[in-house]
Amino acid sequence: MSSRSPSPRAGGWSSPGLNTPYDSGGRSSPYANGGTHNVTWASAQARSAEVKGYTAFNPRNQGFFGRHFRRISTSLPFSYAEKEKLGRGRSQGNKAMQMLNRIGWNLWRLRRSVGLVLLIVLSWILFYVTPFHRMYRRSPWFGGGSKYVVILAANQGGGVMEWKGPREWAIERDSVKNKKKYTQKWGYDLEIVDMSTKKRYAHEWRESWEKVDTIRNAMRKYPHAEWFWWLDTNTFIMEPTYSLQKHIFKRLNDVSYRDINVYNPLNITHPLTDEYLDPESRSPVGDGRVESINMLVPQDCGGFNLGSFLVRRSVWTDRLLDIWWDPVGYEQKHMEWEHKEQDALEYMYQNQPWIRPHLAFLHQRNINSFPPGACGEKGDDPQIHYKEKDRDFLVNMAGCEWGRDCWAEMYNYRQLSNRLNRNPWEKFKDWISDSVKSMKESKKKENKDEKAKKGNH
Amino acid sequence: MPPRKTSRPPPYAARNQSSLPIPPALKNLLRRDKVRLLALGILGFLTILWLLGRIGGRGGRSTPAIAKVAIGTGPPVVIVTVLDPKANPAWIEKIKKNREDYAKRHGYLTFFPNNTQYPLRNSPPSWSKVPAIRHAMTLHPGSTFFWYLDSTALIMNPSINLQTQLLNAARLEKLMIINEPVVPPDSVIKTFGNLKGNRIDFVVTQDKEGLTPTSFIIRNGEWAKYFLDAWFDPIYRSYNFQKAETHALEHIVQWHGTILAKLALVPQNMLNSYASGPANPKHGKYKEGDLVANFPGCDKDKRDCADEQQPFFDILDGKNKGQD
Repeated sequence: MSSRSPSPRAGGWSSPGLNTPYDSGGRSSPYANGGTHNVTWASAQARSAEVKGYTAFNPRNQGFFGRHFRRISTSLPFSYAEKEKLGRGRSQGNKAMQMLNRIGWNLWRLRRSVGLVLLIVLSWILFYVTPFHRMYRRSPWFGGGSKYVVILAANQGGGVMEWKGPREWAIERDSVKNKKKYTQKWGYDLEIVDMSTKKRYAHEWRESWEKVDTIRNAMRKYPHAEWFWWLDTNTFIMEPTYSLQKHIFKRLNDVSYRDINVYNPLNITHPLTDEYLDPESRSPVGDGRVESINMLVPQDCGGFNLGSFLVRRSVWTDRLLDIWWDPVGYEQKHMEWEHKEQDALEYMYQNQPWIRPHLAFLHQRNINSFPPGACGEKGDDPQIHYKEKDRDFLVNMAGCEWGRDCWAEMYNYRQLSNRLNRNPWEKFKDWISDSVKSMKESKKKENKDEKAKKGNH
Repeated sequence: MPPRKTSRPPPYAARNQSSLPIPPALKNLLRRDKVRLLALGILGFLTILWLLGRIGGRGGRSTPAIAKVAIGTGPPVVIVTVLDPKANPAWIEKIKKNREDYAKRHGYLTFFPNNTQYPLRNSPPSWSKVPAIRHAMTLHPGSTFFWYLDSTALIMNPSINLQTQLLNAARLEKLMIINEPVVPPDSVIKTFGNLKGNRIDFVVTQDKEGLTPTSFIIRNGEWAKYFLDAWFDPIYRSYNFQKAETHALEHIVQWHGTILAKLALVPQNMLNSYASGPANPKHGKYKEGDLVANFPGCDKDKRDCADEQQPFFDILDGKNKGQD
């Protein structure tokens, strides 16, 4: 169709040289010839253009491609016409070209399956390169990351009581960065709380019980979260590839224990035997169901450790957080309770039977491994101390502010964590540099040995 | 010569009509590729399994569960009175009979433990009411309400039904005294104003001096365990509160919102009218028709409950005779 010359729509074909006016309603009777209108081709075209707004006639081969397309296309190396002429399916050209050709041809033949594989690979890459995987991990239906909140205590003991030096700042920066990276990776929420001694607490009884207030505030701030993980500043997540779900909650029954007799550094009598208590309170494991666990606490050599523990949003937790601090208890025990809220929880666990059926313990190295400096009087305890070989999840440098070097510990564990979690490419690079280094060193040694030999001679 | 081919071709053989009508598109698919279909089927099956697993959640291994009795399946109210084994046995019998008559009338239960049977660790024997209620809950897990009534009190109007005339949610909402200082006259902690009757777990009264844990009602449940255990904490028992468990109760109610939020303060004459003693000036004094006449402290010092209560026992006997 395009090869035909353009024509005005109405009135049939206009022909140059004929005097027939094309706007005469289709009449072509000879008597109209020689009418008053003297329509020429040029005038008709002009008029038509005036009416339609554009010129009706589009000359062919006007643009660059129009004029040169054929020439360009025939000069391309893969012209079909050329191939037809030269190839005819017989072998020609060099072997490499042939091979490529065959591969290309096979790929083309298998384009559907290859395309599918490519699509899968591409979408996999896209999933992990874009924030899409974070959305997936965070969504309550798939990854469930939004159900977890990490509460990180920062600035502990700072504020009005003492100024922080550069080391303290560095520790805090490292710790915060570590948790930020971890929570971002798995789609958890991170709540960093300023625990500096405020005036509000400094002269009041409640010092060190802010933990309770903080957890409550976090529960209010994240109304859809279920589990809240408290972390002290001096902690470092060694294995960011472990998700809380996989590491703890999917196998809660195996990693936790309800019966404190499994590991009982405080020698708490368990279970309770008082006759007036209900069977659930007297049972060593509560009702034994995973769903009834509302709090997960690790135990170190001295009893409960609240440097890293988990609480679940529940009515029970509300009550616990409410009763945890009490002025009468404080007044009587604040000299005795060195660890304040930790001792108070231990005390309540022993004396208020309603707590036991809902509190479970975690093996310490699941969530709160210690460096050799903490609890280390009796040497390494496989229950408590960090083991590189087992890739423990988290290190808590508990008590490092009393006579140990927090910054050195933090630095060493950070380096170790980085080394353990290198990706294959980094491992490869390090392997090369290490081997080069060792070669150099051995050469030096040899040289030295030779020199020494020479000297001897 | 082979026979000529017929010029009338036979009609196409009809396909076997199966009883199950399958749409042609699906049939095409079924016919086309068996392997692909199989793969698709397996994939779909796995997807369904995955979804089911997700919905079902973690099953986990379950230890032999403790048989739980649903609350509300037993008798509706259990009356708990702690008795002092050293008191006059004749009077104890009368007190027991007073409760039992009432309980029989409404289908309630009674529970009379001794104040020596619980581990109090040197704290005053009046503390034994707390483990006693917990004990009653252990013995009767199906009951809904537990009414603790001190041995110094008498039930004077057995016709009053606790459930319909006090514990019914609508009735309770009407009776609740809201925005009232927990400890008169001027405690800054006041009872909450927006509580729902069916969420109340603890019904108590107030005399002239404060809360009166001589007659109160607790709803069975997890909260009750929490409340009783917190109240019974040795830390309060060893604190030497002047009025032992009464002051401890006032203390925890004022300091812990999770307890105050379950508490309903009702007029004293609904549950604990005083025949003698510091009654609430508004509605505390005993008058005829009240459920309870209490003689607070009649078991202490040199007073004698049996003597003081004698006129009231006489009234009760007269009533009973009148009924018979």
